[in-house]
Amino acid sequence: MIHRFAPLALLALLALLALLAGPLPASAGQYETLDYHIQQMIAQAAANDEAGVQTFREQLDNLRRPEAGDPVQSRPLFQQGQEYLNHDQLKEALSAFRQAFITDPADAEIAGQLGLTYLRLRRMKEAERLLVYALALAPARSASWLHLGQVYGQSGDTARAAGAFANAYRFAPDRSRLAGQLRQLATTDPADAVRAGAQRALQPTQPLPTPTAKPGSAANLPPPTASAPVPAQPAAPAPTAPTITDPAPSSTPPASGVLLDSLRRGLSSLAKPADTAPPAAGSRSIPTAGEQPGQQIYRSSLPRTCLIVTFRRGKTDSLGSGLLVSADGLVVTNHHVIENADNLAVKCGERESVARVSRRSKEPDLALLTTTLNRAESFVLNEAYSPDLIGLEVFVIGNPYGLEGTFSTGVISGLREIDGVRYFQISAPISPGNSGGPVILRDGSVIGIATMGLKKGQNLNFAIAAAELIHSGLFDPARMKMSTAQGKGR
Amino acid sequence: MNSGFWKAVVLVAAWCAVAPALAQDSDRSRYYIQQMIDLAATHDETGVTAMQRMLEQEPKPPPRDPAAAREALQRGQAALRADDLNAALTAFQQASDNDPGNADAVNHLGLIERKLGRLPDAERALQRALALEPTRASAWFQLAQVYGLSEDNRRARGALANTYRFAQNPMRAEEILRNIAESEASDTLRTAALEALRLYQLPVEAVIVPPMPANPGIVPLKTTPAPRQKP
Repeated sequence: MIHRFAPLALLALLALLALLAGPLPASAGQYETLDYHIQQMIAQAAANDEAGVQTFREQLDNLRRPEAGDPVQSRPLFQQGQEYLNHDQLKEALSAFRQAFITDPADAEIAGQLGLTYLRLRRMKEAERLLVYALALAPARSASWLHLGQVYGQSGDTARAAGAFANAYRFAPDRSRLAGQLRQLATTDPADAVRAGAQRALQPTQPLPTPTAKPGSAANLPPPTASAPVPAQPAAPAPTAPTITDPAPSSTPPASGVLLDSLRRGLSSLAKPADTAPPAAGSRSIPTAGEQPGQQIYRSSLPRTCLIVTFRRGKTDSLGSGLLVSADGLVVTNHHVIENADNLAVKCGERESVARVSRRSKEPDLALLTTTLNRAESFVLNEAYSPDLIGLEVFVIGNPYGLEGTFSTGVISGLREIDGVRYFQISAPISPGNSGGPVILRDGSVIGIATMGLKKGQNLNFAIAAAELIHSGLFDPARMKMSTAQGKGR
Repeated sequence: MNSGFWKAVVLVAAWCAVAPALAQDSDRSRYYIQQMIDLAATHDETGVTAMQRMLEQEPKPPPRDPAAAREALQRGQAALRADDLNAALTAFQQASDNDPGNADAVNHLGLIERKLGRLPDAERALQRALALEPTRASAWFQLAQVYGLSEDNRRARGALANTYRFAQNPMRAEEILRNIAESEASDTLRTAALEALRLYQLPVEAVIVPPMPANPGIVPLKTTPAPRQKP
């Protein structure tokens, strides 16, 4: 046997020796090559070296292009991403642009918008990589230079921000508009390096191409106008000052309109990481004229209702529901949801957090979790428990089988006391995954915690009365909102 | 001599020790592929490349009927587009029988086996495809999914690392891995993608709450008496 394999071993050794002297695989270092050229274009632009910028642009043009994908499939995804982005639904936009990019990675517009979405999500490393890639595909795409400048500025790199902004201007199809955008960045962006970078790109002492010249020829940027002066030293604006994240509309709206629009976008771009961001769904809780009561309940309850995921030995174990009961992020659920968990995570509306069990009780089957969800909108607990409530309409929201935010309705069918614990019997359908979720009256107050069901029969489900929670001693009643209203006619 | 050289020499020496026990070419190929996975999982670039070169030295089976293989391959692809998995499976098997050295046919065979949930068969077919063409990123990706479904985190990570390593467009592969790391419901695959990205020091955000499965598998209510069932 050894004889049989010896020649092969010799061959293998020779192959390895050849390999060690050989080149790296084709894909290795591909991004680094693109990044090198983009960084050179930035450096040359910052030094106002026209020819240098042009040289590296041509070198980029000569690099091998990525294989084109399927525009027929990618374009609808791109349009979908644009819709989400316009409505500040950044996670949805990320998902749509990602799919579009995976479908057609040779489309510079898709790559650029994916980079912009990362920028607005404040994921600077990903934003930089995607924008560099987009610019390697289309080195004259002004919007990507502008966004790359913002990435560098928000990362504190003034020099590179200035170079990228200078290229944004150099390649802009409408230079007066781009100059306006830079002036706005120079005066109102909350990041010092963005303001300084934009201001440096606007410096009349550092000549840049004239608006009339073709890209690549030397000229000055228009000086700041009287209506939007550039301060000699950038003054630090208020934390909520606007940031430009998109090219401005082609026709200039009135100044107040620009400010409001810009402020809206700026606030969105300033969104905190997932565990501290304000709830996106919170804005949906405002009742709209003509809505049915159920619709209003759903809108207001969704950001206060939580998905609870438990982990055991490093893996997802089970899931349940919960409800926010205090402004400092206390979440109530059933004990049986969390009893075997090593670790916990919660998602209330669009906000996520790790969670820790603060208190637990087997009878009644309740647990209290602490989270990092500060400034949370919480439910009002209703301690009413009397036969008068039977027949009242109730609403249940939860995550049966992981179907997040499932909404169902029914009535209070009866009052039951099981092992000394007061329950509401309800006809609203609940399933595994609903455990720990709120049972809500028409006035929006929580009357019970969905806990269990009788599989024999139909819609014979049970919720621990909120009164049990209030008097359980699980947490300080002063931290929660309470009500004794019967929920009639409200 | 650099450390990579000595590492390669050690690998060859290890191979010489193991090789006599490997009676067939397919066993030897599988051994190399497993080595590529293990070495990729620890980000040992030199080792992966060494094993890749070993695989490339292996003799490739000659075609029996290339024309029939081409025809069967096209038939299989049409059936796959029509989502007729059984017809596609038959066609790709025929293509593979007629041309055992056709990596495309064997790769498709592995894809169909995976879609049909036959994980050991899928693994075998994909390993055969990789033995014929060790740089085929799509086969590494399929293999990673097989390991993900088998809850084998280490091998899923290694296969995903090789997916990235051999991708024609690394930025696209990076985004695919990020998508899995942030949106995949399977813990094993999601964690493997996260770790593969970290091996290459690529940016990624670990999720706090894992995504819910697209199909939660709702079942009809059972009829067994149960007076108190906790949901």
